[in-house]
Amino acid sequence: MRQRDTRAFPSNRVTVNRTDEESPDLVARCQKGDVEAFAELYARHSARIFSLAARMAGSPETGEDLLQEIFLQAYRKIGGFKGGSAIGTWLYRMALNHCLDFVRSRQAKMDKATATIDDDERPAALAARRDSPGERIDLERAMQQLPAGCREVFVLHDVEGYEHKEIAAMLGIAEGTSKSQVFKARMKLRALLT
Amino acid sequence: MITSHPDGVTLNDYVDDGLTAAARADVRDHLASCAECQTVVDGLRGVQSAASRLPLLQPRREAWPRIERSLRASVPARRPVPWAAWLAVAASLLVAVALGFQIASRRAQPASSTADADTDATAQSIEAELRQAEEHYQKAISGLEQIKNDGKGSLDPQTAATLEKNLSVVDQAISESRAALKVQPTSEPAQASLLESFKAKISLLQDTVALINEMRQGPALTQKGS
Amino acid sequence: MTLARTAALAAPVLLLLASEVQAQPVQLARLYQGRREAEQSERISRKVRVGRDGRVSVSNVSGDITVSTIGGDEVSIDAVKHGTRSAFDRVTVVIDDRPGRVDISTEYSRIGRWGNTNVSVDYTIGVPEGASVDLKSVSGTVRVSAVKGSVRLQSISGNVVTAGAPRVEFAKTVSGNLELNGVSFDGDLSVAVISGTLRANGLKARSLDINSVSGDVLLRNAACERVSARTISGSFEYAGTLARNGRYDVASHSGDVRFALGDGTGFELSAGSFSGSVRSDYAGTLDIGRGRGRGRGPNRGPGQTVQATIGDGSARLELHTFSGNIVIDKR
Repeated sequence: MRQRDTRAFPSNRVTVNRTDEESPDLVARCQKGDVEAFAELYARHSARIFSLAARMAGSPETGEDLLQEIFLQAYRKIGGFKGGSAIGTWLYRMALNHCLDFVRSRQAKMDKATATIDDDERPAALAARRDSPGERIDLERAMQQLPAGCREVFVLHDVEGYEHKEIAAMLGIAEGTSKSQVFKARMKLRALLT
Repeated sequence: MITSHPDGVTLNDYVDDGLTAAARADVRDHLASCAECQTVVDGLRGVQSAASRLPLLQPRREAWPRIERSLRASVPARRPVPWAAWLAVAASLLVAVALGFQIASRRAQPASSTADADTDATAQSIEAELRQAEEHYQKAISGLEQIKNDGKGSLDPQTAATLEKNLSVVDQAISESRAALKVQPTSEPAQASLLESFKAKISLLQDTVALINEMRQGPALTQKGS
Repeated sequence: MTLARTAALAAPVLLLLASEVQAQPVQLARLYQGRREAEQSERISRKVRVGRDGRVSVSNVSGDITVSTIGGDEVSIDAVKHGTRSAFDRVTVVIDDRPGRVDISTEYSRIGRWGNTNVSVDYTIGVPEGASVDLKSVSGTVRVSAVKGSVRLQSISGNVVTAGAPRVEFAKTVSGNLELNGVSFDGDLSVAVISGTLRANGLKARSLDINSVSGDVLLRNAACERVSARTISGSFEYAGTLARNGRYDVASHSGDVRFALGDGTGFELSAGSFSGSVRSDYAGTLDIGRGRGRGRGPNRGPGQTVQATIGDGSARLELHTFSGNIVIDKR
């Protein structure tokens, strides 16, 4: 068991004026291995990457582990960044690939196809069903309750904004499967939220 | 016009504008007279809208210190010391120490009963070996000094000053020993003192470099030899 | 109006606007700096079970570490942060406990330049009597008392003090002083001081290895079987007894070397200095060479060499300096 002083005050965050473009100086410093420059990069982009990772993984704890892995990977690979896109985009793509690897490896471990919600239920029936009457939870918590494969498709489509065709390619599923998974996820979430 | 309810995926596609114009019109017409399906569509739209407006999640405050530690653990030296430099230092040290042992063991041998000429030859040989040892120690010292100078900024000023001051003390000992050997090249105390001073300098430089490396990685200290 | 003239007229206005925009953050910053924050404290207390002979390590940057013994098989940890509350967020106390051990450390996030965090953490730790402790500090005093397990201590600029901890195996400081009282075990003690002073009272160990640069070494009531000591300008003093067949090898550049010996253990002495003197209270077979080496070529230095056998000559003393004096006294 590892305890942390949970009464610790927030760790120091660098306050950076957010601009659309990163300063080339920041990227250059990162490429030289400057950890403090990386802290600035983290301050700018960690929320976006953590959001993706935590939601894809279905837990903030796993999301934080993935966040660490992603930034470490970025630290190691930033030397190869040639400036063809904004550094944020580069980071996000690396994060997405890392999350997809995580998802695929988890699926492989579970050794079953994308977990689905029961195919037989009619929309109306799904809409009427609730886990426990009167329970209201927020959307984040509700998403965590989705089955893994279903959640990932939902996050990529409804939260991150990818098209079904793109999601199908990312996850190695049929486009139709992507559509049906989003539908079922939405129905389940609606049931959990009302 | 659709007389039976559209399936869920079709309603979902309707919400996402994923139907053909004709199919879209059919669903719209159905919804105009089907409250049940309209409720489903409203529900789907509500979730989709809420999901698209989800705020970014913030990682815990403790996340960055963890990440920083792992970055620092993998951070190379600001000016990375090539492995060759370290190997050169190690090689020089090995040779220097070996020569030092050789000199000491020569002295420890019982006095020869042969003529003074042999004694003189042994003394000269010891001097030559001492010079060689000095050369190798100097090489090792230069290598370590370079590493130390590259990373000096990582130490707090007080510690850096203490270490520099003590390096001067050792340098003084080296100068005094050398000066003595210039006048009396065969003086054993002077020879021993020179070798001991070199060893002390190496040890102090190694301590300094170890401290620099520890400070770069963060304040968690590591213990030499543990 | 030409474009150039417009620009010329507009420039001061733009500059003024720019400076206004710049001034605001500066004014805000000044406002913030104008408030002096009072120093505050925050205490964190925990108890962790490690077993009667568990291992405890503490790694601290700024602040004292005090370790003593309590009964039972638990470690009690009291960490008090001192500083300005706004700086507390940079400092985390980490308690990492696993079966049989607990590792406690102070972590500073985003240290830009060394030592600008202005937050110190004082640790008061109670450990089971048989626990082993490993303490590391940058600045701040390290104190250990009554711990019977192995003790390893390291400090950069803080002092290290032990009392009633018999098994100190390793102690090191850069500029702090070391005070070891009551070290007594059949094991090996390694000590390194760069510029601090080492004082040890009642030191008994199978072997003692000391390295100093400018720090003095003062050993009282010492009874070690093997001593190897190196110093450059610090002095070395061993007041105590020699072990039969013991080996004592001390080399100093300019520091004095002194042995003050009790009981009657015989020893063989080989002492030499390039320019310092060698003096001994002992009558015996003394071969004092002035400017003479060990029969190997001329040594015309002003120093002295002494070869002597006292009593049965069972222990061996090898004492060498460059310019420091060598003294072997009877206590």
